[in-house]
Amino acid sequence: MTAPNISTDLLGAIGGVPRPDVDVVVDARDVNKWFGRLHVLKDVSLRVKRQETVVVIGPSGSGKTTFIRCINHLEKIQSGRIFVNGHLIGYREAGGGKKLVEDKEKNIATQRQEIGMVFQRFNLFPHMTALENIIEAPIHVRGMAKDEAVAMGRALLERVGLAAKENVYPNQLSGGQQQRIAIARALAMKPALMLFDEPTSALDPEMIGEVLEVMKELAREGMTMIVVSHEMGFAREVANRVVMMDDGVVVEEGTPDQVFSAPKQDRTKAFLSKIL
Amino acid sequence: MLVGCLFVLALSVAGCSSSKAHSFQFDANVFLADLNPTSQGVLGALYVTIVISVVAQALGVAIGVLAALGKMARITPFRVIANVYIWFFRGTPLLVQLTFFYFGFGAAHLWGWDDITIFGFFIPGALQAAMVILGVNEGAYMAEIIRAGIMAVDPGQTEAAKSLGMTYGQTMSRIVLPQAARVIIPPLGNEFNNMLKTTSLIFVLGVVETYDHYVILQGLNYRPFEAYAACALWFLLLTTIWGFIQSRIEVRFSRGTATGSSALPGPGWRTRIFGAAAGSTGLGGH
Repeated sequence: MTAPNISTDLLGAIGGVPRPDVDVVVDARDVNKWFGRLHVLKDVSLRVKRQETVVVIGPSGSGKTTFIRCINHLEKIQSGRIFVNGHLIGYREAGGGKKLVEDKEKNIATQRQEIGMVFQRFNLFPHMTALENIIEAPIHVRGMAKDEAVAMGRALLERVGLAAKENVYPNQLSGGQQQRIAIARALAMKPALMLFDEPTSALDPEMIGEVLEVMKELAREGMTMIVVSHEMGFAREVANRVVMMDDGVVVEEGTPDQVFSAPKQDRTKAFLSKIL
Repeated sequence: MLVGCLFVLALSVAGCSSSKAHSFQFDANVFLADLNPTSQGVLGALYVTIVISVVAQALGVAIGVLAALGKMARITPFRVIANVYIWFFRGTPLLVQLTFFYFGFGAAHLWGWDDITIFGFFIPGALQAAMVILGVNEGAYMAEIIRAGIMAVDPGQTEAAKSLGMTYGQTMSRIVLPQAARVIIPPLGNEFNNMLKTTSLIFVLGVVETYDHYVILQGLNYRPFEAYAACALWFLLLTTIWGFIQSRIEVRFSRGTATGSSALPGPGWRTRIFGAAAGSTGLGGH
């Protein structure tokens, strides 16, 4: 089932692919993270080039969600480096580059403007209408003029097929509609990178299609994306690469064909046999 | 018409008690004269009560937000300051705080509470002390209410706000606090109801507010029953009016919640006074 009225040219609403000047959008090097004694990320490295779509798969507890949350510093890391657009995220180096010191909150906020995130539970602001959700950050964070933000917000709403829902509050929308607005909200900041944290896991089956349709369109138009998802159809159709994580380690990565049709690692085979 | 109802109620209560008294005769004329808003000083005293309540409550909310954020802060000194503040102001009687910070601090030359003029308003020292001490006291209670409200907001909201590049201040002021308000507003309304009545304590500072007005009045005409009955009635009127305003505000703040999409009015005045079933008896009088 396809979503109603999803037009092409999603990125047209925000003035094209953001940040065409960057080649490597994400460069994560040997990232380690502990939750207390639990070692959840073990030397995880990942490079994502501009306009690439990377799908991260793996069993629950494998660290995939934690990893993408580290990319916009919603989680702290204990060692390693994560660069987005060439900027070290969340930290500055001290002691000749040996130590990581957490950056000022304001700088972190600035870095996050470049990184859109879509959550499993949508997390739309319930006290704001669909349009207000979308224009909130452009106006108050980017300092965009209100007319301009509203015009962009309307264009985005139209292109995710929800032009009629402009003045509706999130609690009156279906999960699929909320998630499409959440995507529009993230796009409105013109991010160089979009992170998707299991965006369809909390949806009723009949609504998964409409959200995936928006994501596929975004990928085709050249948005740089990291997607934590088990949607194999989506991965096969638009992913440039699939990364398999297990127990805090990147077990295997390759094109969707390589990973899904001819996995090299036993752990990947075992995982795929359970979900396919 | 509402005032009328309350008036009848008060008269009947007064009538009952007077019949049992030995040589006491309820004097309706004195009572009406005491109650009469056009008689000297009544409106002024009510005005003082309302202004002090509003200012002190506003101050209490502002301090409460700071104290709540302080209590939840990652930086230890902020937490300590907030906790000590709440501990002290909730742990000592308001009457003691009023007298200690006004007379005590004055005598110790710690703070003189000098009369000042702001924006053309002359504010006597006692009035300042009343507003500030009531507000600071209220802040300690508001802190817990506001903290509970903030904690009731889904942490996903903070994450979404952060992921859009909002700073801590923006996240709090634009995303978290407006949602916390929904949880905070009902108890805040109750706090303000309390505040309206608690202002009567500031007579100890020599501020002539509604209660003090009637203290003075009964001292002049030696009719304490009529004076304090009138006083009670005025407070009842204030808190009743506030009750209506409060229910309006609660509807306004339920935007975007399960019940908030349709503007459900709160219970009407009949329901509030006579209970749900009695509405049909219809004492009329709109």
